[in-house]
This record gives sequence, structure tokens and C-alpha cells, in this order.
Amino acid sequence: MSNIKVDQTLDCKGLACPMPIVRTKKAMDQLEPGQVIEVQATDKGSLADIQGWAKNTGHHYLGTLEENEVLKHYLRKSEPGETREPKKYPHTVTNDELKSKMEGGSKLNILDVREPAEYAFSRIPGAVSVPFGELENRLGEWNKDDELYVVCRTGTRSDLACQLLADKGFKNVKNVEPGMSGWTGATEQNQ
Amino acid sequence: MSTKVAIIASNGGLFDAYKVFNIATAAAATEAEVAIFFTFEGLNLIHKQAHHELPLPAGREPIAEGFKNANIPGIPQLVEMARELGVKMIGCQMTMDVMNLKKEEFIDGIEVGGAVTFLDFAKDANVSLTF
Repeated sequence: MSNIKVDQTLDCKGLACPMPIVRTKKAMDQLEPGQVIEVQATDKGSLADIQGWAKNTGHHYLGTLEENEVLKHYLRKSEPGETREPKKYPHTVTNDELKSKMEGGSKLNILDVREPAEYAFSRIPGAVSVPFGELENRLGEWNKDDELYVVCRTGTRSDLACQLLADKGFKNVKNVEPGMSGWTGATEQNQ
Repeated sequence: MSTKVAIIASNGGLFDAYKVFNIATAAAATEAEVAIFFTFEGLNLIHKQAHHELPLPAGREPIAEGFKNANIPGIPQLVEMARELGVKMIGCQMTMDVMNLKKEEFIDGIEVGGAVTFLDFAKDANVSLTF
């Protein structure tokens, strides 16, 4: 769990409230949507503050790890209007449909196209991590006829991933909607 | 529409300054629109000299060390941060007249106004606080 890939690391160790929040805001302003930041803090209050901050700013709080008294908070910068983007890929399954297929014992190819930090904290058991940015270079891992279920947090990135797969000749691709934000089935995480 | 936070600062001690500026900077960093109305002794918090040497409550002087040990930012640093984050700071004209203080004696970037200037901002604020 200690090696989560992030786009930026922000050192707020030794800083007291409200500095970790203020620094996080400033750093987040410099990031591109979709990028992930790791905020290192020793202020115990930052655990609750960071979550409240994310809720109010619309950014996505992924989780926190504690290592040697240092809290490492992981946040992903959201796209403006991320949840409202029009969907284009027509073939979808709902979370519940996917869940029933899994409970029926089918062995499924589930591609999780979120960032590695999101995947690390909570994913569908057996899902393979394929961050959207890497997808195009990893197409050789599946056959064109394979049934592929593509999942992200809200169905937006996975929609784009489905379109990319379809363009490359994959015939049996399904976008899982809404994705991990509404997933009620079993999950696993890095140990 | 973003959250609006309206604060009245009417006391001039170090504790008062932390209450005001911690809430203000945290709110502004969380993308709230923040305005502070400084009145009576609260004007100390934005006075060029006074805000560098705000008093602790009588008998609580040993706490100065606690602030240092906990690595709490100084008030001038918080004021600067509030300004950078776009916190609107309004000095009370009436108090300034009573105490014979000029706008030039305060930190840069403040506005001066009367009660209505603050009320106009506060009338649709989501959070209103008085310190």
C-alpha cells in the first residue's frame, strides 16, 4: 500500500490548522483535473478537515494512510461538471446487473480505469487496474471477442475507455454504470 | 453559488485574532466567499503595528510558548494568507472616526465602510459569526 502512484506530493508535516487546508487548496489549483495528490500532514485534525474540504469543493477524497505518525491523504482533482458529461457509449450494464453476474459465479474481465490510488483503496474483487492513460498501450492483454466490463468512479472515464476499446475493434465491451461511487457489492483493497 | 461566510471581529486580543483568521482562511481555502467586519477593538487585528503584537488575556501569558511549540502560524502570516485567498476585510468607519484612526494606518487592501456595507454582504450569508 505504501507505493501509490501520485502526480504530486505536498509536505504539510509540522503545520497546524488551517495551514494543511490552505496549502492543499493552493496545490490543487495547480493540478489538472484527474490528477492525484498526496498530502502529508502531522496535524491530527487534518483527517476530518481534508474530508470536509473535499466534500465542499467537489474534489474526490480517496483515503488516508498513517505511517510513522504521518497522515497521508489522497485526493483526486475533479473535472468541472464531471458527473454531468453526456454519455456516448451505448452498451452499458448497471452496478446491480454486474453484481448478479458475479454472484452467479461467472468469471468476468473487469477493467478498472481509475487512477492507481483510487484502485488501491477500494475496488471490485478481481478487477484489473488499467488507468485510463495506460489503456491504449495495454490492448494486447485481451482478445477482441472477450467480454470486458469497464468501471470507474462515476461512469465517465469508463465511457471514454469503452469508446476507445470499441474503436480498436473490441466487440463485447460494457460500461458499468454508475461505477464505484454507487457500488454496494464486495470490495477489496491493497493490504 | 458558493458558500458565504460573514464574520464580525469586535475584540482585539491574540485569541480573538486566531478565532477570526483561522475560520476565515479555512473557509476561503474551501472556496467560500468570506468578509470580515472589524469594529471597535477588532480594528487591532488589521492595524499595521498592533496586529504584530496582540495581547494574550491577562494571566495567560505562558500560553505564548504553547503557540510556538504547536508551530502555529503568526497572525501577520494568517492576515497575509487571508488577503491572498481573497478574504474581504472591512474596517468600521465609525470606530475609526471615534478613535481618530486613518485608513493609512491599517494594512493594505482593506475596505472602509459602515454597518450597511457589512449587512449588504451578510444578508444572504450561509454562516454568520461574531468574535
